[in-house]
Amino acid sequence: MDFSFSPDQRLLRDSARAFLDEHAKPAAVRLLWDDPRGESEALWKEMAQLGWLGLALPEAYGGSGLGMLEAAILLHELGRAGYPGPYLPTLLAAAAIGAAGSEGQKARWLPAIATGEARASVALLDAELDWRPEATAMRAEKTGAGFALSGRKHFVPWAHVARVLLVPARAPEGLTLFLVDPGAGGLTQTPAQAMDPGTRWSTMTFERTPVGADAVLGAPGQAGPLLDALLRQGAVGAAAEMLGAARRCLDLSVEYAKVREQFGQPIGSFQAIRHKCAEMLLEVENSHSAVYYAAWALDARSEDHELAASVAKAYVGDAARRVCGESIQVHGGIGFTWEYDLHIYFKRAKALEAQYGDGDYHRELIVRRVAA
Amino acid sequence: MDLNYSPEDRAFRAEVRRWLETNVPKQELPALEDRKAWHRRLYEAGYVGMLWPKAYGGWGTTPMRQAIVQDEMARVGAPPPINGLGIGFIGPTIIVHGTDWQKQRYLKKMLTAEEIWCQLYSEPNAGSDLASLKTRAEDQGDHFLVNGQKIWTSAGPIADWGILLARTDSKVAKHRGISCLLLNMRQPGVEVRPLKQITGHALFSEVFMTNARADRRDLIGAVGQGWEIAQTTLGYERGANSLGRVTRYAAAFHQLVRATRELRRGGRPLIEDPAVRAKMGRMFAELEVQRYAALRVLSALQNGESPGAASSITKLSYTEFEKRYYETALEILGPWGQLMSSREEFEDVDTSSGEPGTWATAFLWARAGTIYSGSSEIQKNIIGERVLGLPKEVRADRLKA
Repeated sequence: MDFSFSPDQRLLRDSARAFLDEHAKPAAVRLLWDDPRGESEALWKEMAQLGWLGLALPEAYGGSGLGMLEAAILLHELGRAGYPGPYLPTLLAAAAIGAAGSEGQKARWLPAIATGEARASVALLDAELDWRPEATAMRAEKTGAGFALSGRKHFVPWAHVARVLLVPARAPEGLTLFLVDPGAGGLTQTPAQAMDPGTRWSTMTFERTPVGADAVLGAPGQAGPLLDALLRQGAVGAAAEMLGAARRCLDLSVEYAKVREQFGQPIGSFQAIRHKCAEMLLEVENSHSAVYYAAWALDARSEDHELAASVAKAYVGDAARRVCGESIQVHGGIGFTWEYDLHIYFKRAKALEAQYGDGDYHRELIVRRVAA
Repeated sequence: MDLNYSPEDRAFRAEVRRWLETNVPKQELPALEDRKAWHRRLYEAGYVGMLWPKAYGGWGTTPMRQAIVQDEMARVGAPPPINGLGIGFIGPTIIVHGTDWQKQRYLKKMLTAEEIWCQLYSEPNAGSDLASLKTRAEDQGDHFLVNGQKIWTSAGPIADWGILLARTDSKVAKHRGISCLLLNMRQPGVEVRPLKQITGHALFSEVFMTNARADRRDLIGAVGQGWEIAQTTLGYERGANSLGRVTRYAAAFHQLVRATRELRRGGRPLIEDPAVRAKMGRMFAELEVQRYAALRVLSALQNGESPGAASSITKLSYTEFEKRYYETALEILGPWGQLMSSREEFEDVDTSSGEPGTWATAFLWARAGTIYSGSSEIQKNIIGERVLGLPKEVRADRLKA
C-alpha cells in the first residue's frame, strides 16, 4: 500500500509545474483567450517534445507507455495553470485508438499525435443531455463505400483544431465508433461560445457525412464498452484538471488572506476566513485522494476501477466548484474582477464539471454499481 | 503508487479473519468481566497494544496491521477492546513522559485491561478553551490534594485510574500553571455521576473530586508541565480506526439499500425513485472518498511520515461526513429512520452502523463527533494556523497575557 508518487512521478510533476509556470502564465492564458484559435501551436509542440502528448501511448507508436496516473499528474498541473487547449480530448481519442484501432489506424494517428502533428477530439454528447453511450441518436447508414452519418453532436471540445474526431453513431450493427475527418463533406461546425474562454466547443451537424468502412474503430456494433472506458478516462482526467484548478484557487486565497488587512489585521486571522480556507483545504485533499485513487485504479484495472472513476468525477466536480467559488468570496470584490486571475480557474472547473458525465450521471452510475 | 495491499498484509488479514471466525463471542457481552476476558483474548492474540513497543508488553507492529485488525473486527461486528483511551493515549503518554516506576506499575495492567483508565481533562467551563481549567491540585509534599469537577469522562463508572490535568499554580499564565497527574478513581474523594446524553444512554460521566489524593510519584513530568504533555500529539493509535470506521459506514449503506428496496412510494420501491438514488449516489461517493483518504493516511504512516497537524483534516473530514451521512439516511427513511426499537417487518430499517442501536442513535451520535477531541471549529483553527500558516487570531486572553 503506497499512496505516494514515485521519484519519476514527482519529477514529472515538478518539471511540468516549472514548465507551465514559465510558458503558461496567467498572462499567456489571457492572450489565448483572445485568440480565435484559442490554443498555442508553439506550446503544443513543446508539450510534444516533453513527451506529454505520447505519455500514455505505446512505445511502438512513439509514446512513453505510461498510464492514467501520469496523465492525471500532468492534467493536475494543466488545471493549475488554467491551460487552454485540447490536451484531454486528444489523450482520450488517442487512448481509444490505441485500445481498439486497427494496425492501420494506429499507425496513421498515434505517431502523429505523439509528435504534436495532429490533435484529436471526442464528440460524446448527442441531441439529448444524456451522457450514456446508449443515448446516442446519430445514425450511420450503410453506403456502397462505407457509412453516411446524420445527426448532431453538441459541445465537441476543440473540434476546430482537431484532425480527427471520435464519433459514436447507430449503425445497423448497433452502437459504433467512427473516426471522422472534421473537414468531411456534409459536416458543418458551429462554434458555441462558452463561459470559459479557455474552453472551445463546437456544434457539429452531420448531413449524410460520408465515412469509409475503414473509419470504424473497433468492431461495428461494439462501441459501448469502448465509450464507457473513454468516459471513465475523461472523468478521471477532468477530475485531475479540476483538482489542479481548485488547488491553485486555495493557494491564492491563503496567500491573499495573509496579506490583505481589514480592521487593522490580516483577514486570515479572522475565523470566518480561516475556517473557510480550512474547509477548502479539506475538499482539496479529499479530491487529491479521489483523483489519484481513481487514476491508479484505471491503470491497475482494480475491481472497483469503474466505481472509482465515477466517485472521482462526482466528488471533485462538486468540491472544485465550491473551492474555486469560495476563493472569490475570500478575495471579496477584487476576486470578481476580470483582471484578477481567479476566474480563469473558476470557469475552467465549471466547464469540466459538465463534461465527461456530470455529477448526476456519475452518481447514478455509482448507485447502479453498489445497489444494482 | 500502488494501492494494493502487500501480500504480507493480505496474509495477515486472512489470519485475523480466521481467528475472529473461531473466537468472536456469539452473544453480547453485558458483564464487565466478560468484556475484560474478551479484551485479554484479543491482547494475547496480538490484536491489542499492536503499536506499543515490545519492551512495554506491546506487539511493535505497523499502523496498517492495526487498521486491518480493526477493519476485520468491524466487518464481523466484534465487540471492541475496552481500554481504548488508556491504550491509545494514556499509556503512550506514560511511555514518553513517565518514570520507570510509573511504567512498571501501570502499563501492563492497562494493556490487559486489569485496570481501566479514563481521561480527566474537560470541565464545565473549560471545553475548547481547555487551558482555562479550574480543578486545583495543591502540593502537599508527598501528595497533591485535588478539588474540582471534570466532565465528558468516558468509562467513568468502570475506571480504576484517570489521567488528570489540574492547576497547580494560579499565578502564572494559564498554560503554565497546569500539571498532569495520575489519579486513583477508587477513593472516597472521587465521585462519578453518569451523564445522560441525547441518545438516552449514559456513556459519559461527571467526576467530582473533593479532597481527593494523588501521590507525588504519580506526577507525570514536572510540576507546571501538564499543558505541554497534553499537547504532545502521540501517534500511537493514529489511523487505527480509519478502515474499520469506513467498513461500518459501508455496512450501514448496504442496510440502507435493503431498506429502500422494502419501503415503497408511488407503487415502487424507494430505490427506484430518482431523488432517492441521487442522494444515495452522493452518500456512497463521499463514503468512498473517506476510504481513499484512510488509505492515504495509512500509506503516509507506513512511509514514516508524521501527519502532525494534518491529522486535524482527517478528524474534521470524517466527523463532518458522518453528520451528513446519517442526516441523508434519515431523510431517505423518513419516520422509519427515527424508530428507537426494532420492528419485525422492517428489520433492515432499524439498524445502525454496527454499534447497538438504531439509525436514530447513529444520527444522534453523529452530533458528538464534531465536538469531542477538539470541535470542528478548533480543528479548523489548527488547520488554518499550522497547516496553511494563516496568522493567529487576536484573542482577548492573549492580549492580557
